[in-house]
Amino acid sequence: MDNNRQGAKASYVALVFFTGLWMILPSAVRRFNREAFAEFQAPALHLVGKGRDLARYWELQSRSPEELVAAARDLARINAALELKIHSLDDARKENTRLREMLRYPQSTEFVTVVARVSVRETSSWWQRIIIRKGRSDGVRPGCPVVFGDRVIGRVSVVHLTTSEVDLVTSPGFRCTAFLEGDDQNHVVHVSGRAGLALSAPRAMVSIIPLGYNPPAGQIAKVMTTGLGGVFPSGLTLGTLETGVQTTSEKHMLTGALTPAKELSFIQEVSVLIPKYPTAGEILLTPADTGKAEEFR
Amino acid sequence: MKDFDGQNPSAPSDPISAWRLRVIFFFFCAGFVYVAVGLSYRQLVQSVSLTEKSDNQGQRVVILPPSRGKIFDRNGYVLVDNRVRWSVKADLLALQPEFRKEYLALLKKEKDRFPDRRPDYDQLQQTARLNVLNAWLTKIWFVIDSTNQKAAKGTAKVKSTPDLHPEERMVHPDTLRKHLNERRALLFPLILDLAFPNSGHAVTSEEGNRSVARFIEQFPVQGPITLEADMVRSYPNGKLASHVLGYVRDTDILKGQLDDELAEKFANLQKLGYTGKKGADGIEATYNEVLSGHSGWEHWTKTSSGYNKERLEAKPPKQGADVALSLDTKIQKSAEEALAKIVDSQGKALPAAAVMLDVNTGEILALASQPSFDPNEMADRVTQAYFDQVNSEGGWLNRSTQGLYAPGSTFKLITATAGMRANKIDWDDILDCGPSYMVGGRAFPEHDPVGYGQVDLEKMLAVSCNVWNYQVGLRTGPENLAKEARRFGLDAPLLQKPAEHNNHSTTELPNPATRMVVPDRAYKQRIAGEPWTDGDTANTSIGQGYLLTTPLHMACLIASIARGETRTTPSIIHDPGRDGRHAGAEPIGLNTQQLNALREGMLRCVEEGTAKSVRIPGLPYAAKTGTSEYFKKGEKAHLAWIIGYAPADNPVVAFCVLVEGQLDTSTWGGKTAGPVARDMILAWRSAADEKDK
Repeated sequence: MDNNRQGAKASYVALVFFTGLWMILPSAVRRFNREAFAEFQAPALHLVGKGRDLARYWELQSRSPEELVAAARDLARINAALELKIHSLDDARKENTRLREMLRYPQSTEFVTVVARVSVRETSSWWQRIIIRKGRSDGVRPGCPVVFGDRVIGRVSVVHLTTSEVDLVTSPGFRCTAFLEGDDQNHVVHVSGRAGLALSAPRAMVSIIPLGYNPPAGQIAKVMTTGLGGVFPSGLTLGTLETGVQTTSEKHMLTGALTPAKELSFIQEVSVLIPKYPTAGEILLTPADTGKAEEFR
Repeated sequence: MKDFDGQNPSAPSDPISAWRLRVIFFFFCAGFVYVAVGLSYRQLVQSVSLTEKSDNQGQRVVILPPSRGKIFDRNGYVLVDNRVRWSVKADLLALQPEFRKEYLALLKKEKDRFPDRRPDYDQLQQTARLNVLNAWLTKIWFVIDSTNQKAAKGTAKVKSTPDLHPEERMVHPDTLRKHLNERRALLFPLILDLAFPNSGHAVTSEEGNRSVARFIEQFPVQGPITLEADMVRSYPNGKLASHVLGYVRDTDILKGQLDDELAEKFANLQKLGYTGKKGADGIEATYNEVLSGHSGWEHWTKTSSGYNKERLEAKPPKQGADVALSLDTKIQKSAEEALAKIVDSQGKALPAAAVMLDVNTGEILALASQPSFDPNEMADRVTQAYFDQVNSEGGWLNRSTQGLYAPGSTFKLITATAGMRANKIDWDDILDCGPSYMVGGRAFPEHDPVGYGQVDLEKMLAVSCNVWNYQVGLRTGPENLAKEARRFGLDAPLLQKPAEHNNHSTTELPNPATRMVVPDRAYKQRIAGEPWTDGDTANTSIGQGYLLTTPLHMACLIASIARGETRTTPSIIHDPGRDGRHAGAEPIGLNTQQLNALREGMLRCVEEGTAKSVRIPGLPYAAKTGTSEYFKKGEKAHLAWIIGYAPADNPVVAFCVLVEGQLDTSTWGGKTAGPVARDMILAWRSAADEKDK
């Protein structure tokens, strides 16, 4: 009995001791510990992703040869179409560069694309986040946009050595500016993620919509990135504006719900757009690199 | 129980100690009873009032200003709007730990430097707050200013914000002190109106949007710094119709702050308000009650330091109602553009006014005054430099409704009407008009040194013969001239609001002129202490002397003549149901031939007379020009007038243009004011044609 009591007492003392120790540890040590834990956790996350891939593989194995042949044929067609598109895009890119140089117009933000597989999804109503299998070692930096095709998925929030955490468009940590399809005057509107209520679908909101805005007749208005903020390239689709935009209490601005461009719960593969030059916000988040701040002023 | 000495250890060792113990016990009991009674009293008797007092100390009401209603022109074109204002604000409550840390660091430094001196704690606190806020501002500007774009070869680096002195990007100590004293609970504005070029934070509105986008996308979402969007007054056409529209200024007294029931409920709570806006001039001022809307409120608990803690309940503000003006933006624009072309020898725009009315309803289609001001400059807070600039130019005066001028030859219409109504002259009477006319031993000159010879009413109006008017004026007499001028309302106040809209302001535009002068014998006796002479009558007959009136009065006069009546009630408010009846109007009192001669004379004025340089082929209109004299800095200068209506055969619009000539500039009614009238008529025609399509 006494031994049990003493054991319990020792446990409490140890808890208090380690909590206290954690609080007084220098931030570098704490950061190292966090990183170490993330790296320790990374193989498990990879394993989860690989397991899912394996399950998918076995699922495909069970398909009939006819089905696979049909799928391969469809894929070949898509590939051919994409080849054509790549070719025309290449021409457009060259023309764009030529015109920019001719007009002495500054080049838009350049990005390097890194394709990443999704390991884990945390798409509960609170944490709208995914973990991808690319990290610092692949050049991923915090704040980088994450897309699927021309659709915005979210932004990188935390980067580890081999994995990164991505705040989805519906995450409360996500915000960006957008233009609305059909708005001739290109008013800048504000898109931000909202934490959903328990058991309700998470959503993003579009606010500061001008009162005179009318969605294109018979269409669902697309919400597209402005490219003004220096983070997202312009013209990417954030989603569509749900019908029935609400006026704010003052009747001067409208707000509406955003349906994300991609079904975020089933996303498997994404692309991380890494800006060639770090943004000011990125430099601000890494105070150690103050020299860079001057360089980019 | 006894100890080894056989004594009771708990008993006092001697009688004195026992007595002391009793005294102590008594005081202890008394103290306990005092505390118990006090607590009971507070709990049972004072609990209600103490709870209320505690609530009052721990809660406050924040008044939220409403957005003002919009102002439209008669065609639904927006003249005054509200635009989104993006402002970067700091949550001072969330910054408290940073303030504290900085304060302690400063305190330590101060004590190390001056160990013997008592630190100025208040000053240190203020410096700590400023340091923290300025550090955040530096970060904010770093994000907004920077560009991660690689500049193309040979181009300068893209920069979206104007070059400001570093101090202009710092928090001013007085601003922070004022905020902490008066609005501690509210977010502290670090950068107001980030995207608007006039605010000095952006070069163009596109670059302003870029700044907003950079902040939204690059600045950390979580943290004490937030971007807030609210609505502010916006005048999308800049200076257009600025004297009519007016401008707004800050106010802490907001209409409908709390209704009666809530006012009682929150009677003892501290009330804190965001700065609202109230009309300071123009329609913004006279229709302030309509445009203002109703304030909202938020009921908050507050911390011991005075910051807002938790919002208990709230009511959103309600936007003000819209106002539709009678102005037609196209005509107004053409009037202002035409006025801007009239310049002096240095190329500076001359002071001038232009009015166009709907002949039948009296609704004002254009009301311009030059120089003017840009109400956008006043939408947030006017700078002293801008105020002084407008002041030195005389831009605050609405010359159309507030400027008092001698009407010059345009008054000859009254002289002719008075003469005919008094049977002193008829429409076809011919008078001999030489180069001058002797009145009281003095030769009153004709403006043409040769004279006009045989002149009837039509010719008089076409060439603006002075001698004809001297003769008719003297025959008619000063009392009849004054009576006729008053019958046409030349000294009557205009722009009076209907009684049902008479809230706070009795007029549709602020302070229209009330000191118009229609002189008579009594007037001169009162003003100059001298008797009236024939010379005064001759002067009055050509619109000179003591006569003073406004361009709006002259526009109303010509609109009345166009309808064959005596009065026109002008209005700046658009009412599609207006019946065309005018207060105090009566028939002009001339027979058909007389009235036709009057109209024909004005038509000839444009076709072959003093306004022939501004005739419009295919669109005949009637006009009367005038060039009167006034004294500027002790020397004579000219006022150029033109009044008229169009079309000549079926009048729809009436107009009046006045230009204040300068000493070194020659100004004439037809030559100087005429082109403005012509442009206004063409703009009206074009707008009417568009509507017909």
